Amino acid sequence: MTAQPQESRFKGLGVSEGIVIGQVLRMHIGSRHVYHWRINVADLEAEHQRFRAAVELARQQVVAIKKQAEERLGKDHAYIFDAHLLLLEDAKLTSDIERQITDEHSNAEWAVEVVGDRLLSLYSEIKDDYLRERGSDIEDVMQRLLVALSGVRPQHRSLSEDAVIVAQDLLPSAVAELDLEHARAIATDTGGWTSHTAILARGIGIPAVVGLRDFYRRTRTGDKIIVDSTRNEVILHPAPATLQRYQAEVLSHDSPRGAGNARERGPVQTLDGIEITMRANVEVPAEFEGVEKFGAHGVGLYRSEFLLARRGVAVSEKEQQLAYEEVARTAGSDGVIIRLFDLGGENLREQFQEPEKNPALGLRAIRFGLRNEEVMRTQVRAILVAAENSNVKIVLPMIADVNDVRRAKAIIQEEADGLAKAGRAFGDVAVGAMIEVPSAVLMADNIAKSVDFFELGTNDLVQYTLAVDRGNDEVAHWFRTLHPAVLHSIDRSLKAAFNAGIPAIVCGEMASTPAYAVLLIGLGATDLSMTPTAIPRVRRALVGIDSRDARTIAKECLNCETADQVESIVRERFGKLWPNLFPAKSLPERRQTAKPVA
Amino acid sequence: MIQRTLLVRARLGLHARAAAKVVRLAQSFDSAMELTRVDNGTTADAKSILSVLMLAAGRGTELRASADGIDEDAAVNALDQLFAQGFGEMEQESGG
Repeated sequence: MTAQPQESRFKGLGVSEGIVIGQVLRMHIGSRHVYHWRINVADLEAEHQRFRAAVELARQQVVAIKKQAEERLGKDHAYIFDAHLLLLEDAKLTSDIERQITDEHSNAEWAVEVVGDRLLSLYSEIKDDYLRERGSDIEDVMQRLLVALSGVRPQHRSLSEDAVIVAQDLLPSAVAELDLEHARAIATDTGGWTSHTAILARGIGIPAVVGLRDFYRRTRTGDKIIVDSTRNEVILHPAPATLQRYQAEVLSHDSPRGAGNARERGPVQTLDGIEITMRANVEVPAEFEGVEKFGAHGVGLYRSEFLLARRGVAVSEKEQQLAYEEVARTAGSDGVIIRLFDLGGENLREQFQEPEKNPALGLRAIRFGLRNEEVMRTQVRAILVAAENSNVKIVLPMIADVNDVRRAKAIIQEEADGLAKAGRAFGDVAVGAMIEVPSAVLMADNIAKSVDFFELGTNDLVQYTLAVDRGNDEVAHWFRTLHPAVLHSIDRSLKAAFNAGIPAIVCGEMASTPAYAVLLIGLGATDLSMTPTAIPRVRRALVGIDSRDARTIAKECLNCETADQVESIVRERFGKLWPNLFPAKSLPERRQTAKPVA
Repeated sequence: MIQRTLLVRARLGLHARAAAKVVRLAQSFDSAMELTRVDNGTTADAKSILSVLMLAAGRGTELRASADGIDEDAAVNALDQLFAQGFGEMEQESGG
């Protein structure tokens, strides 16, 4: 028997929403070898002619691409190609190249390469990330000139049904020339959220994950691949169990292309009139438009560590303030809850060398902030200043007990005092605690008295309550979201918040899965925060149920001994009560070990 | 010759697409047009995209626009307007 290739996951940055299961199509672009030869004086004029002909050919190609892009992507995207046209027509560029031909007696290819390299090296020194990424425009034009000089038209690629384009980098015109009707997703080694690949992928509505580092070389055309931009990752050679899970998810997922139609807004009410607040979880700016589009009640969770992914902890107060103001504008009057940096040593290995043996239990989240106070103080200041004109709240990640809360709040207070003293404008912010560690659940009554709100991070809550690493397939069997221990933890935390008279928001994947969201309502939750694209499907489920039914089912689940029992109750009760809302495939599967409920 | 100081307001700065708009606009006038970074004096021919791109003008950069020629007033006014609109970028919709 041949060994099955191992399933492997690669982390990147999801820059265009969605999940796709498909096949790898590798695209090798660029890095052609350019040779140098000396042109005889007698042939110099001919070389100039050859160059000008190539410029004209390249120009015609770009005009055609631009037209195609205008039709397919709209005028604003097509402006990228207007820039390419202008570059090809730029007298400075062409005269630099022609001068190189004349002065050095070099062939046109070499002259293009030399001048292009010189420009690119100037570009790579630019400090601004976004502008630097734009170096690819120059590279693209240079590549096109080189191809035109070789007299070959770049071949038009048509793709198989489920092609996922995998490349080190995609030059903008390559993306536009692709047979986009059939490209299902894009995964690249380089790029950021502002790269053309990202902008175009969002424009045509196909998922894309970029910044995967050395992913390309590990793939072969035809490999099975899952692109999951909601989780910022791609999975190569997915195992059968993974595939099954994703197939179910894709079925219940709204395709981003059609998502605009699902625009519904206003408060969500269950059949018995319980009002449910639905907020959005966001991380990268690309997700911001979803907040409005899907009618979210502001941003319930802004994962601020995205800012560090781009620049490291050195990200300045001003830069952070601008980012927070931007997300606050997106959130509007409903406000944004900013989670302080939720990361640990493993995310910042370059700056904090020693890898930890047990990072999930290590110096991370609030602990990291309390240890590296300057990082935390800078972030707090940026948030306070951003709060001057907007509704901004802070949530403290990975709170273990009230001591963590007190120390963090003291820092926030000190920074506010400092700003006041310095005469700087700022706003007051409410401070909440993430409840995701078992000790916080057990001490929830206590913690509830010292914060303004709770936020339940269900992903970590499951992982820490059950002591199961969600990324480790060996123990995947023990990772059970519907474990009675998890439900009890949620129940206990919600009650603590209720008794203290503070709001409790449930974020995490549980809230974005319709069946689980109904169970959360049954446990007494009325405030959910989820990935924006999930809002329409959860909304549809919640407006179709009576919360009293959900309560009865939840109570039954709390009395279960095992996750299997909970799952079969959910399967049976949901299937019976709401067959239209919950077709069998949307409910937890029956496992071999499941016992029928009496 | 007339001069006016303009501010790059667009969130993404004077990047390729925005530069394309600036250059297309500049090319529609007869006057010679230049853009100079107020902070470091780097000067660009507003009719050359390469030159404009090399200004590397991020958000918040101040640029002195100058036009010299028969339609210099109209040229600077038009440029002023394009800058004020943040280059009419679609990225602007999400704020900034």
